[in-house]
Amino acid sequence: MRNLNNIPDKNPFKVPENYFEEVNRKIISATSGTDQEGKKLPVHNRFRTTFLVAASFAGLILIGYATLHFLRPEKNELQVSEVLHGINPDSLINEIDISSLEENVSPLVLSEGGTGVNKKDIIDYLMLDNIEVNDIYDQL
Amino acid sequence: MKLSKNSIDDNISELLKTDLNKGFRLIVENYSQKLYWHIRRLVILHEDADDALQNTFINVWKSISNFRSESSLYTWLYTIATNEALSIINKRKRNAAVSIDDLGSYFTSSMEGSTWFDGDAAQMKLQNAILHLPEKQRIVFNLKYFDEMTYEQMSKVLKTSEGALKASYHHAVKKIENYIQRD
Repeated sequence: MRNLNNIPDKNPFKVPENYFEEVNRKIISATSGTDQEGKKLPVHNRFRTTFLVAASFAGLILIGYATLHFLRPEKNELQVSEVLHGINPDSLINEIDISSLEENVSPLVLSEGGTGVNKKDIIDYLMLDNIEVNDIYDQL
Repeated sequence: MKLSKNSIDDNISELLKTDLNKGFRLIVENYSQKLYWHIRRLVILHEDADDALQNTFINVWKSISNFRSESSLYTWLYTIATNEALSIINKRKRNAAVSIDDLGSYFTSSMEGSTWFDGDAAQMKLQNAILHLPEKQRIVFNLKYFDEMTYEQMSKVLKTSEGALKASYHHAVKKIENYIQRD
């Protein structure tokens, strides 16, 4: 809306001769070769460092795992006891559901002489763990 | 065929995605004059405008990787340039111990004594009238009257609602007309 019509449209300000060519050159030369915050790099360059770091970590983890796995002595029993450490055996026994045992264990396993384990062994074992005798006989 | 401002901005935005240096060079070539005159009308002195323009482009370069191509390059550049101009004005206020009320007179005397002003009496009067506007109104008037910026674009540059900008421009024009008719 140019309603100040009586005033000439000419720009009253002046600049030195060739000012814009020179200032453009000055700006370009002042910024060229300098880095700007978060300068965008080509995709392969941008992710190369990340890949290298991730690969190094993966390599270290692999070497560490291999070292532990192949060089440490066998101690499976110790591992089991370590796993069971702190767990109350009674609570494990209470978890046993006789009826589900029967469903899941093959009759062959429980038959006399089938596996070298007879009914008496089983009864003795279960009685040691405070399971009701009647329940045991019922199930066998 | 001459490309429109929007087409040039689109080309620059595309180029920035692949080559920052070339994109930046294109920004400097296309915008240095426009931004210079915008700054110059606010700071009046060529030396100050020159400083503010160079600072503007240094800041553009520093933050160019944060520029989102979906934003308007034009309003982004004008925002940075306006901020640089305002920081030069604030520096002048501090250094010259000029009160806000006297700022118009201070700029008027700077303009009258400047080698780089060759306007006639009517232009001098218009500039005087503009210089006596409150700072925000002065920016709004310049952007609308000289840069022919839309209220929508101005709203992005000045972070002000379009309604407030329209009112501000309206008041500025009234004040300028009164100032010019007074003598």
